[in-house]
Parts: sequence; structure tokens; C-alpha cells
Amino acid sequence: MRRSAATLLPLLLLAALLALPHVLPRFHTYVAAIVLLTALLAMSLNLAIGYTGLYQFGHAVFYGVGAYGTALVLTRSGMPAPVAFLAGPLAAAALSLAMGLICIRLSKLYFGMLQISLGSLVWAVVYRWYSFTGGDDGIHGIPLPDAIASPKGSYYFTLIVTELCVFAMFRIVRSPFGKVIQGIRDNPVRAAAIGIDVRRHQLASLVIAGFFGGVAGSLFVVVESSVFPDMMFWTFSLEVLIMCLLGGMYTFFGPLVGASAIVLLRVFASVHTQYWGLILGTILTLVIIFLPDGVLGMFARRSLKEDRGA
Amino acid sequence: MRKAVSILAVVISTIFMAGSGVAADAITVGFVDTYTGPATTFTNDVLDGFKMAAEKINAKGGVLGRKITYVTRDDKFKPDIGLTMAKELILKENVDLLVGTINSATALAISDLCRKEKIPFFATFSKSDKITGEKGHRYVFGMNENTEMVGRATAKALAKRKFVKYWIAGDDYEYGHAIANGVFDHLKTLNPKVRLIGESWWKVGETDFTPYITQILAAKPDFVIVATGGGGMVNFQKAAQSTGFNKKIPFYQHTAIELSTLMPQGQNAPEGVYGTANYLFYYPDTKENKAFVEEFRKAYNRYPKSGALYGYMTAEFIAKSFEKAGKIDREKFIDAMEGMTLPSPVGTMEMRACDHQVTLPMFFGVTKKSAQYDFLVAGDVISVPGTEYMPSCAEIAKARAK
Amino acid sequence: MDFATNLLSTGTLSQILVGLSRTTILFIVSSGMSLILGVLRIPNVAHGSLYMIGAFAAWTVIELLGGGLFAFLAALLVAPLVVAAVGFVLERGFFSYLYERGHLMLLLLTFSFALILGDLVKIVWGPEYRSVTVPAFFQGSAEIFGLPLPWYNLFLLVVGPCIAVFLWLVINKTNVGKIARAAAVDGEMVGAVGINVGWIFAFTFVLGSFLAGLGGALIAPMVNISLGMDHSLIMETFLIVIIGGLGNMWGALLGSLIFGLAQSLGILVWPQFGIAFPYLAAVAVLVVRPRGLLSSTW
Repeated sequence: MRRSAATLLPLLLLAALLALPHVLPRFHTYVAAIVLLTALLAMSLNLAIGYTGLYQFGHAVFYGVGAYGTALVLTRSGMPAPVAFLAGPLAAAALSLAMGLICIRLSKLYFGMLQISLGSLVWAVVYRWYSFTGGDDGIHGIPLPDAIASPKGSYYFTLIVTELCVFAMFRIVRSPFGKVIQGIRDNPVRAAAIGIDVRRHQLASLVIAGFFGGVAGSLFVVVESSVFPDMMFWTFSLEVLIMCLLGGMYTFFGPLVGASAIVLLRVFASVHTQYWGLILGTILTLVIIFLPDGVLGMFARRSLKEDRGA
Repeated sequence: MRKAVSILAVVISTIFMAGSGVAADAITVGFVDTYTGPATTFTNDVLDGFKMAAEKINAKGGVLGRKITYVTRDDKFKPDIGLTMAKELILKENVDLLVGTINSATALAISDLCRKEKIPFFATFSKSDKITGEKGHRYVFGMNENTEMVGRATAKALAKRKFVKYWIAGDDYEYGHAIANGVFDHLKTLNPKVRLIGESWWKVGETDFTPYITQILAAKPDFVIVATGGGGMVNFQKAAQSTGFNKKIPFYQHTAIELSTLMPQGQNAPEGVYGTANYLFYYPDTKENKAFVEEFRKAYNRYPKSGALYGYMTAEFIAKSFEKAGKIDREKFIDAMEGMTLPSPVGTMEMRACDHQVTLPMFFGVTKKSAQYDFLVAGDVISVPGTEYMPSCAEIAKARAK
Repeated sequence: MDFATNLLSTGTLSQILVGLSRTTILFIVSSGMSLILGVLRIPNVAHGSLYMIGAFAAWTVIELLGGGLFAFLAALLVAPLVVAAVGFVLERGFFSYLYERGHLMLLLLTFSFALILGDLVKIVWGPEYRSVTVPAFFQGSAEIFGLPLPWYNLFLLVVGPCIAVFLWLVINKTNVGKIARAAAVDGEMVGAVGINVGWIFAFTFVLGSFLAGLGGALIAPMVNISLGMDHSLIMETFLIVIIGGLGNMWGALLGSLIFGLAQSLGILVWPQFGIAFPYLAAVAVLVVRPRGLLSSTW
């Protein structure tokens, strides 16, 4: 019974997601696209923080660099769109490697703070370099290929890319590499003692997280055809972190739940009240008090204990 | 299992997002603006000015028999939220027109969206000159001054004065640089003798200007152009007052003479500060302005600020354009508005056909104490008419062609 | 850039003095954060909100008492007490039950409170700007090296070291302070010796909150009191605490000095990018001495 449900459920979900734009009005399709790419962003952060145990406090900078990379190639170079969609995530991955090399020697809170400082420097450059990046005005009216420019087109593109990336991350996490980084998260000393190159694995994890964060940024360009420097500001980094913690940091799909909840809350609450902060803050507080491992963590705690063994 | 939870969440919330039901036979105007944080002091005036005009129009039977209604969405000064809210208003609430926002990045993004959706968008309070300049198009209308206009008007006012050595200072973001460079670059073309001897830029939201003020004082310029944004206006004036800066070196800020800057400081605002503004409730002392102020005070128990003018005239232009078009048709509406002139509290206003920018007078004055009010007001006011300082249609066409 | 000549002028000495006076606010707020982070291991994202409440509360006190020097001094006492009370409620009502959750969850919790407090301020005080005028006693400025230094800045230059000395006395010379320092290093041990660690933690959080409120009250006459103040200081405060060493008072002072001076001298050296200097300083310190400049309790 369980086995068939496990295979049937994802297929049903996929069917629902594919049918979405034909069933729901335009605005909801747009919101669904935003939910998908934000979920991808949160899950990419979780690779670094949930699976590798690194205090990735400045993740938004990779999202922003991915978005700006794609936007700049689309608006300034004559190169075709696929190049742009690769350029963004690759730039984000490269930045992640560079920042990782500087920050990796530090641990925990210090790692996070240094990352935020470096991220803030990147933000400051984008914010002030008006002639190249549009400064604090951002870049708008980004040209996209017709197939993906329409609301349905951008949704399907986002859906497909997100599914592929989630699948890739799933495989990575379940692979030997994934086991190693979780081992490093739980006990770096023991991992080093059995001969694992801790630093190399952490850096690899950071680069992968940065890459997928950059993909999420590129998808933002597809859905909104605009980019803003706010995307890489530290307050957004904190929001993405909240999504992971809310949904459950030690589960794979936890950040997806957290991201969905926060995006929907943002849109829904903003429409009906000015006190969005009060509502979100209260919900978060309740979740923290009553659901210590996040929403999905609650379900997963039992199986996690079995996984981790003695 | 877990994915099911999330999908369920999406579905449930979607159902909950039922629209707030817009009245069928009304003209609905959607406002996307910042109603959180420090910007609120400006944006509330825009909404209240609009409401005042709309209520008057509705009382007289509305526009072509329909009432003007409005809905508001708070963008929290974040462009991505602003864009989402604009999409919500267009796609879900099906508004007829869009108005907003004080954040220039958001305004530009919404402007682009409205171009694609072919919905008229009235930019209120955001000051980027790209809105009706380089990035302007058929569906966007500028209802207030922009940085290019401020630069030209101020340069005109300063050109004939005896100041030669200039210093530029301001908030380190696009608005600050646009204003400061706008003023100085135009000043230099009008008066080639002026020289820039130094610059100071501080982060947006800076609270302690003393180190910058002392640095400027040591350099001894003749005049300082200070480009602070909304929040920084009062902070800088306070610092000027406590260091006596305003008494030592004359300086200028856009909106230095506005009520929003001077009223919070009461009698302690610095005197002798040069400034520009698009609206002063006590000048010009015309019948129209007095009536406007009276009406606003009766309705909202406070003096109107510039935002009130923008909001009020937005409603007026909307109403009169639909009437002239004769039917509720967006394209005819736009055609009708182009070139339309309307009376306003500050004189006749024209909606220029070539760039969809309203022509406003710019007031240039100096702060001084007043016996009548317990805050400072503008003295020695010069009024520069819009036609004398706005970029010409040819210049706009060139900017848009790039 | 003739920054060489700029650097050597008397303007520099004046800039240094000004840089020192801005250190005071940074130090007061950061020392509160350092205490909370060092002793309680809570990265208090709500610290900025407490600072903002301090400013608004000061405005209310001054409005109620009609302005003037007395009202201002009263505000300096009452506003921080109000914030301390808020801190007490937060600590006893929420944090005390959740200490074992770990840093990230506590960070999330303080972030939630920052959201809630931000909106509460909007509900209580409304969205308009508030302004407090410098009391007449402090208006105007003194001429130092030929350039003006506002009397209020001089006042801050005096207040800063007084608070530093006061804190040092509390932490090193009182029993409570000594126990708090011990609890920071090894809470379990302190509890095992029979001391009620809970009240120590409450005291520390209340003191930290008091300091945040005091910072807000002190800065009120210099700025626009507005929503959004909570975001303005929080990043700098965290960086100062990190580079100074967690839980270390002198570290907070040193960090604040570095920040204050880096900015005021930075604008002499490179005006266009003066804003980047404090961040560059933070990066430089963390790369060279990852645990912070002075000893840390972690």
C-alpha cells in the first residue's frame, strides 16, 4: 500500500501542477510560479545550512547575482537566451566559491557574519553602479523569448526548471557525497579523522547551493522581467533562512513548505492588512513554540532518528 | 506525503484569496504605494488628496454616471512586493487604472508592466526622470516633478547668483546623485563660472552629519547643494541647526521649504535654507489655493502637503478625460488626456502630449520664521512656471529613442 | 583626490572628535547586544526594535512633560526602563522556555519579535515622523580647532565613557555580574552550584534591553524618529559585536571606535566610498582574527 502511494502521489502532484494554469486564473498562476522559484531558493539554502551545517546567512546574494547575471546578458549582450540562463547561475556559483574560500576558515556565527559582510559589499557595488546595473532603480522590461514570456509560458518554464533542479538536489543529497556532508555537519572532527577532506566537501556544497540559488534568480527574471538590488539585501537572506527553519531544516521538502507558506502569506496578508509583520511574526512564534523542528520536521523526526543511527 | 502538504497549502490558500468584489458599474482605481514606514507621511497625502477630489466628483453624479472607487495595496517600499501587488490589482481585482508609488524602482517596474497590459498608470511621488523620460511610453503619466525637472528649475534660480565655488553632498543612492548632478550640470551650462570643489556622500538613513559638515566647513565653499531624500531632510536640517551650518554657508535642498520637512521641527528648523517645492499651502495666495486648503483641512484636520496636490489632480485628470472621451475606453481615455489643461490650486496644469508629464510650477524660496505659524515657512518665493524648466519634447524624444 | 592634504589638516582632528562622539551610541547599543549574545547566546535581531521603542518612548515622555531639559533627562531614564520592561516580558515569557533550542531557532524567534514589535510601534505611535528637539541647554556648538562641535555631541562624548565604566562595575564588581560571566562560560556548572541561572539570564536580557532603549533615547534629538529605525542599526551592531568579541564590553567599545572612526576618517580619504569602509574593516578583522579582536565568551 505504501509503495504504490509513494509513487502515485508525486505523479498526481505533477499532474496537478501541469494543469494549474488551465484551471486557475492568471494571477494565481503567477503566484504559483513565484512559490516554485522561492521554494527552489529555500531548498538551495538548505543544502548549505540543513545538510552541511554551515551558517549561510547571506544566501540572497547568490539569488541576486543569478538574476542580475541573466538580466545583464539578456539586455546588454547580443547573446541568445540560453546563454543568459546559464550565465546567471554560473556567476552565482563562482561568487559562492570565492566567498567560500574566504569564509570557510571560520565557523558558525562568524562564518555567517563574514558572509553577510561580503554579501553587503556586493550589494553596495550593484546598488551604486548605476551605469552598468541600473543602480537602485533596477533593470526593467527585460526581453525574453516569446515562448517563455507569456504567463503560461513562464509558469511552465519555471515548473520544469524547478522540477529538474529539485530532482538533481534530491539525487545529490541521497548520494555518497550527500552522506559525507551530513556526516561533516554532525561531527566534523570525526569526519576529518576518517580521512575526509572537510574543507573541500564544504566548498563543493557551497558552490552547489550558490548555483541553485542563482537558478532561482534567473527564474525570477523569467516571471517578472525585472530585477532589483533588494533581491540580494541581507533582510531577504534572513527571510529565506526563516523559510527553511519554518518548514523544517533537516528535511528535504521542509523549505518548500516554508517558502510556500511565506510567499502566500506575503501576498494574501498584504492584500488584506497593513500589519503583515504582526501576523507573520505571530505565526512564526507559534510555530517555534509548538513545532520545534519546523512543520515538516515534526513528521520527519522519527525517521531521522532511525537514519542517523547510534 | 510532504509534497502533498505543500500542494494542499497552495490550493487552500488559493481558495481563500477570493477577491474583495469590485462594484460592477464603477471606475476602479488601484493604488500601489508604501503605507508602511517613514514614506507614509507622503503617501497618505496622495491618497487623501485623491479621495477628496473623488468624493466631490461622485457627489455631483460621478463620471459618465459611474462612481470613482479605489483600492489600496501596501508595497512596504519593496519593489518585488509592489510588482506583485500591481499584478494582483490588474489580474484579480481588474482595476481600470493604476496609481502609485513613491519608490522609483517600483514605479519603473509597474510602468513596464502597464505598458504590456495596456493599463494607464499614474506615477505619483516617485522622482526618477526615467519614468516619463527615457522609459516613458503611452500608458504612463507623471503627476509630479522628477529629478531632471528639479535640476533645471533650481539651476535657473541659482544661475544669476554670485556663488562660484560649489560643494555637492547627499544620500548615496540614485535619487541623491540625480538631484545633485541635475542641479550642478545644468547650473554649469547656464553659468560657466561655477566650479565644483568637492563632494560628500553618506549612506541613506545616515543620522550623524557632523563629520561631513565639519569637513565641508573646512573646505569653505560658497554654496552647498545637499541632496537628501525624504527621511534625511529633517536629520540634515537638525544637524545644520546644531552646528550653525546654515548661518555659515548657504545650502540648498529639494523640498527644504516643504511642510513635511519644516513642520516636525517646529520653531527649531534652520533659517536661511534654500529650497524648492511643488506645493506650498500658503503660496500662491489665490482663491483656488485657499479653497483647496480649506477643504482639505475640513476633511482631514491638517494642512495639505505636495502629495495632496498630486493625488487631487490625478483624480481630476482621470475624471475629465473619461468625460471628454465620452465612454469608458482606455485608449480613448489616453487620447483625451493628452494636451488637456485643467485648473488647479497652483494655476493651470497641462498634461503634455509628447511625454505625459504634467506641467507644474516650481517654487524656489528660503526658510524663515513666521509670526503666523509655529513652524517655519518659505520666504522670497520665486515661482518658475513649468514650461520654463521642463525638458523640451525634442529632448524627451531623443532620450526615448536611445 | 587631494586626500593627503585633507588628512593632515586640523579638520582631521575635528573629524576624530566627531567620530568619537558617534561611537557612544554605537557602543551603548552594541554593548547591550554583546551582553545578550555573549551570555545568553541569543542573536537578538529584535535589538533594533528595542532601540526604536526607546526613541519613540523618549518622544512620548518629552511630549507629556512639555519639553525642556528636565523632560529630556526624565526621558533618558524612563524610556530605557520601558524598554527594559519589554525585554523582561520577552525573556521570561518566551526565551526562558526555549534556550535549549539552539542559536538558529532563537535567531528565528528574535526575528519574529522584531516583526511583531515593528508593527506594534506602528499601532501605538502611528506612521508619521516624530521629532524631538535638542533641549536648549545643549543647543548650539563649541568651536574646537576652529570648527563647530555641537554641544550635544560633546554630551555624548561624556556619556559614553560613563556608561562604559558603569557597565564594567556591574559586570566585574557586583555578584550578579560575576555570576553572569560565569554562566556565559558554563551555565550548567553555575546551576549545579545551586544558583538560579534563570534570574541571571533575565537580569542580563533586561540590562541589554535597557541599553538598547538608552541608545534610542539618546539619539532621538538628532534624528527623525520613524518606523524603519529598527533596521538602520542592526547590521552595524552585529558586526561591531562580532569584531569586538562576544560578551566583551571592551570589545564592544573597541568595535564601536573602529566603526565610528572608519567612517568619519574614510570620508576624508575616499568620499565616494566612505560607506564601504566600516564593512571593509569588519571583513579585515574577521579574516585576520576570526574570533574577534578581544576575548570572547564563546
